[in-house]
Amino acid sequence: MALWKLNPMDFTKMNPTRQAKIKAAPAKPLPATNSYVPNQIANALHPKVQYLKVVKIEEEACNAKRYYLAPNEEKGTKALAWFSAGQYLSITLKIGSMALTRPYSLASSPRESLEGIYMLTIQKVEGGLASQFIHDNWQIGTEVTASEPLGNFTYEPLRDATTVVAVVGGSSITPFRALAMAIADGDEDCDLTILYGSRTLEDTIFQKDLKELEANCARIKLVNIFSHEEREGHEHGFITAELIKKYAPKGAFSLFVCGPQVMRKFVDKEIETLGLRKKFIRNELFGEYFGPAKEADYPENVAPAFKVTVRIAGTEQTITAPSDVSLLRSLEAAGIAAPAHCRSGECGWCHSKLVSGDIYTPKSVDGRREADLLYGYIHPCCSFPLSDLVIEVPPVAK
Amino acid sequence: MDKHFDVIVVGAGNGGLAAAANTAKAGLKTLLLEKHNIPGGCATSFRRGRFEFEPSLHELCSVGTADKPDLVYKVFDDLGAKPNWCYETGHLFRAIVKGENGYDVRLEAGIEDFCNSVDAAVPGSKASVRKFVDLKPKIDAAIDYIYATKGNPNGLVMLLKHSDFMRTAGHSVEQVMTACGIPEKAQNIICTYWGYLGVPTDELNAMHFLNMLYGYMVDGAAMPKHRSHELSLSLIDVIQKHGGEVWYNSEVTQFLYNDDGSVAGVVANEEKLYSKEVISNVIPHNVFNMSQLDKIPEQNLKLANAREFGISVVTIYLGLDCTAEELGLEDYTVFIMGHPNPRVQHDTRAEDGLYIVNCLNNVIPDSSPEGTCTLFFTMPIFGHDVPKDLKPQDYKKYKNDLAKKYIEDAEKVLGISIMPHIEEISVATPVTFARYLGTPEGTIYGYKLSGWDNLMARIAGEKADYAIPGLNFCGGHYIRGDGYSCAYIMGDTVAKKVVKRLKGGA
Repeated sequence: MALWKLNPMDFTKMNPTRQAKIKAAPAKPLPATNSYVPNQIANALHPKVQYLKVVKIEEEACNAKRYYLAPNEEKGTKALAWFSAGQYLSITLKIGSMALTRPYSLASSPRESLEGIYMLTIQKVEGGLASQFIHDNWQIGTEVTASEPLGNFTYEPLRDATTVVAVVGGSSITPFRALAMAIADGDEDCDLTILYGSRTLEDTIFQKDLKELEANCARIKLVNIFSHEEREGHEHGFITAELIKKYAPKGAFSLFVCGPQVMRKFVDKEIETLGLRKKFIRNELFGEYFGPAKEADYPENVAPAFKVTVRIAGTEQTITAPSDVSLLRSLEAAGIAAPAHCRSGECGWCHSKLVSGDIYTPKSVDGRREADLLYGYIHPCCSFPLSDLVIEVPPVAK
Repeated sequence: MDKHFDVIVVGAGNGGLAAAANTAKAGLKTLLLEKHNIPGGCATSFRRGRFEFEPSLHELCSVGTADKPDLVYKVFDDLGAKPNWCYETGHLFRAIVKGENGYDVRLEAGIEDFCNSVDAAVPGSKASVRKFVDLKPKIDAAIDYIYATKGNPNGLVMLLKHSDFMRTAGHSVEQVMTACGIPEKAQNIICTYWGYLGVPTDELNAMHFLNMLYGYMVDGAAMPKHRSHELSLSLIDVIQKHGGEVWYNSEVTQFLYNDDGSVAGVVANEEKLYSKEVISNVIPHNVFNMSQLDKIPEQNLKLANAREFGISVVTIYLGLDCTAEELGLEDYTVFIMGHPNPRVQHDTRAEDGLYIVNCLNNVIPDSSPEGTCTLFFTMPIFGHDVPKDLKPQDYKKYKNDLAKKYIEDAEKVLGISIMPHIEEISVATPVTFARYLGTPEGTIYGYKLSGWDNLMARIAGEKADYAIPGLNFCGGHYIRGDGYSCAYIMGDTVAKKVVKRLKGGA
């Protein structure tokens, strides 16, 4: 065989061959995208929005309430998206003229979502705008708009040790109720020891459920640590390195840490002394970042408030933004609906362009990509103004 | 607010970005609509813990340098976009075939070195490989001639002066390589790249493959320093600097047409937006499903029905708490194959066909924090390879089982220990691409570059294939198929035609 033996005239046959192939094809409408298996699974796992309805409400300890949510079929949600224990829903709330979102961890078992039930447990926080609103307004029948399940605070068998030690304070227990149930259901394959810090037994959310899970599943262990009372058979004080060592297995374990900023300040220092590899420490900030002025690298003499010009999809308006409040909160306070999910710097859903001006982002919650820094992009949920600004924010998808 | 634009670009993938940057820079009132909150489509990045992962790019061909710019470098540079280009120095790739007739070879960049490295693996093959590679300048001369005749070349001139072009462009890679006398093993080694175009080399057009191969040989492989997100943001910057609008979270749900059948605009976020021309980075299948059926020319609908979807991928992203050196991996790109033949690799893709392991730190050492490195696995599979009975609740297990299988195989083949170092892991499948791209079957390669639907035949059919006035296409589903370089080049080309039409001079 030699090159000259290939017939060059074959080249002239290509187009007629193609035309014949096209001519022979039907001129019928194309299949819908959702007729293909990968698209079906993608849509089931990641619906753009989930329309839900409150179907049951129960009182919990510590000023918390359980809200059971089911699909709102009239609005088009026929089934709930499956989730991994540890994920959250971003709930959209309309409070007066404000449109805002809040992330709440799913506290129910993933299995229950197949039966059409999600459960969120929401603690009423003093001065907490969203939690107050929910406690005051959500009733049986209330319509709730939620995102798909989100977040990466999940057990990953190829990454994590076979034992998870949860370090958790107060109402941040929600993702671990889900994880314990998923283990009991056989949907997650790991052992779980929960080190649960609360004020008193009475202030302990899910105590009965967790005790039951512990009793019925050998893979689950609960350790209560009460800061404000001493009780026989329970630990007293705070979650220290010593306490973690006491209950952690001898071999490898993954530490899953979840709690509000105030608890994390103490616990993170304790954990540091354990000298664990980074891969064995998983973190979830429960609640938003607040109070940038306390950071060592926060500049001095920052004015109390600035003018922020906000551009959204061809519109423009100017608002006033206090320097100690995140830009996202200032947008919401001004009645501007801005995209947001995790509200703690990680998910990047609020990714926006800083056209001009300076902002401060605390290092601990700076989840931006490298190129974002080169081209002036910010996450408004963790950005605090240091000057007058012009920002370009994406609209919330309709 | 004015809802009228000169050009609306639908989708901020690589093609759409290059297109919108061109029309905005030319002074046309441009609106780029993107359904996600960030640009790029596949060309983006995502963070897990202290790692920032590259989701899709292996390497760009035909980039070149400031001193010796090639097509892609010029597209960016002419627009004023300045990404930090990095280059893979040393060899192009390492190819490992497992089993008895296996081999483990490294191919070098540069024409002479490339041919020498094939010869080292298959002694005596150099002249034949050179013969194949030397067809490239002949192809270029023929294409120059075809362009000079505005697509109407004289048949006799073609046959007398450009017969080798006709031979190359009219046959498969395998046919032309065999005709050049390249031994089978050497063919297999060179054809390792088939996965980048998604079609095995007994079906893939020889000219198409040679163009890509040449692009890698001559320029080496290139990539941006800060993951593909940097490429995408650099083009967004151009668009906005020239007064173009970019709206995120703005999914187009409908295409609007005039009575005469020409495109009038689109609907996004429940708002009608009008333009003189539309450039769609969205695949024709989806565009047609968002259009009134009677506006789609019959020939275009038939073509869409005739086509198969291109390949998708399973990808595994690993952040490891050890360096590449500690891991014992010095290559950037390693192809690992269960069999030497591309067709067999293709047909056994779901079991043991072909996968690629990339370690970005071997090109960009600080692409992850000190003391760490990242690995990126890619297995080409079709969307229809995803099990039909896979339930959403079993999907996580499906992903982890795949990841475990490939990581363990790579550990064995490469003789390294990966599993104990996994600090972050993420796995993507055609489901993931269906979710983010919205393409049917989660295809990332648009339509399959099948034997009958190859590059040359697509070029010949262009006018008839895209017959809706004012509606232009670019992206992986377009003429040149997928790949970053192709998408940028075609976005650039299509936009320049639009600019010519709207600003006159054509």
